[in-house]
Amino acid sequence: MTHDRFTGVGLGLRRPHLEAVAQMEAHGVPFWETCPENVVGDGGRHHRLACAILDRDPVLTHGLTMSVGGFDAWDQDYLRDLGDFLVRTGTPWHSEHLCFTRVDATCLHELLPLPFTRESVRHTVARARDLQARLPVPLLLENITYYAELGAAEMDEADFITAVLEGADTGWLLDVNNVYVNALNFGFDPKDWLARLPLDRVAQIHIAGHKRFGELTVDTHGAEVIDPVIELMQWTLARLGRPVPVLLERDNHIPDVEVLLGERRRLQQAYNAALVNLEARHA
Amino acid sequence: MPESRTLRLQRAMASFVLDADEAALEADPGRAARRHGLSGDDQRAFREQGEALRTYRELVRMSLVEPLEEMFPVLRALLESTELWDGCVQAFLDARTVRSGHYRDIAPAFLGWLAASGWGQERWPFLLELAHAELLEVLVARYPDADPPTGLHATPKPNDVIVLDPATQLVSYGHAVHRTTAAKPIPEATPTHLIAFRDAEGEARLMELTSATAALLVQARTRSLAEAAAALGIPELEPVLALLRDLHRDGAIAGFQSLENP
Repeated sequence: MTHDRFTGVGLGLRRPHLEAVAQMEAHGVPFWETCPENVVGDGGRHHRLACAILDRDPVLTHGLTMSVGGFDAWDQDYLRDLGDFLVRTGTPWHSEHLCFTRVDATCLHELLPLPFTRESVRHTVARARDLQARLPVPLLLENITYYAELGAAEMDEADFITAVLEGADTGWLLDVNNVYVNALNFGFDPKDWLARLPLDRVAQIHIAGHKRFGELTVDTHGAEVIDPVIELMQWTLARLGRPVPVLLERDNHIPDVEVLLGERRRLQQAYNAALVNLEARHA
Repeated sequence: MPESRTLRLQRAMASFVLDADEAALEADPGRAARRHGLSGDDQRAFREQGEALRTYRELVRMSLVEPLEEMFPVLRALLESTELWDGCVQAFLDARTVRSGHYRDIAPAFLGWLAASGWGQERWPFLLELAHAELLEVLVARYPDADPPTGLHATPKPNDVIVLDPATQLVSYGHAVHRTTAAKPIPEATPTHLIAFRDAEGEARLMELTSATAALLVQARTRSLAEAAAALGIPELEPVLALLRDLHRDGAIAGFQSLENP
């Protein structure tokens, strides 16, 4: 799953920035990531701006509410429209979260953790395989931040993710901030954790900011990425030994686009430094 | 076939984050797991992680309630002034009517629930109109883009029918809900007619109409302009045609179609 078009650090395309980004001739962003739920079936000025950018620049797609580990039937109309959208954007893959978001036809609009059980693995593997069969591009699954285990666990998160990725034979969208936040909340070493996972399946990396609330750290996507998370990204790239695309997510307290472009450049420098080390190692 | 444990756990989580009785959850976080027939081990997991599960309760509620706070500021101000906003939101969550995975559909789901349930409308007969008016421009602004109707001409003639732009909405209320503010959320009871449409830039615009113009825009979609004007007792057609030209120029009307050569 190496696509030359998709290297470096991209940026999540967000509504407040559409006007400015649509008018930029040289923004320096190698690719954008967009959430199809926010574009498919929409209309009006912002929709037109989003489509103009997505038709102009390289794009990766990232779903929010498919509920891969849930039980609700797929929305066939949406799946059809999603397929058309993925083809239109030319995305090399489509990512979804390894979680559930719907129960009994109600969408909760939150990424909720799946039980770390053998039954849950079997169910999620079957769902992911079924979803993959309905998409025109390869499916990636993303590890989420979780704040509680759902029910009595039969395995830990690392074993659960490994079992699902390997059972479903899908690629992995590795969110290093989620790993870092989970490590803080559950008290483990993120590098030891990553070393246990099938890193050969990583096709893309997510990076974002988080915030501590009392005893709990929450994946807010509402602050700058902190240095230890950047260092974890570099460590991961070194461990992977190949340049997978990294995507900066920002969903809350969204700053002006210039501020975010500046943060992206800072991450790009860190990314480049990791690749230089990688090349030196291979030389 | 027995329900899977995974499904029961997911249902228990949904109960935990959506159910009304926060005090009961606080006292016994294992309650949701028990109600869904889960084992003692699963109930214990809920009890032992009660605080973390309450984080999910906050996050889900934030996701579902923020669009309502943003889209219905006047309705919220009215209900908060009587300490009923939280009750209204909980009744909406209890109904579990958020089906769509599109975040933009949460506010319309609330409006649909308000219409179906009649919540609060005995006390405030204008409540549904108020909520509708608050969302109207957003609904128009984000109406799904589609190919424009074809075979239309730009200049209206007496024997034409009107074809509205697909995003345009004509609404009639019994109250002047579009003039309310968070500081003055109670509308005057007076017939109100509005047209909401997208301009050439794709931005929503709202215009107040007289009752005669509103009726003409409704009737002249199925009968000729001349016939509709006569039925409504409008003696002069030229001012009507001038207004229609303006509405076409601004984007509210897609065009005109002759009844003779449709």
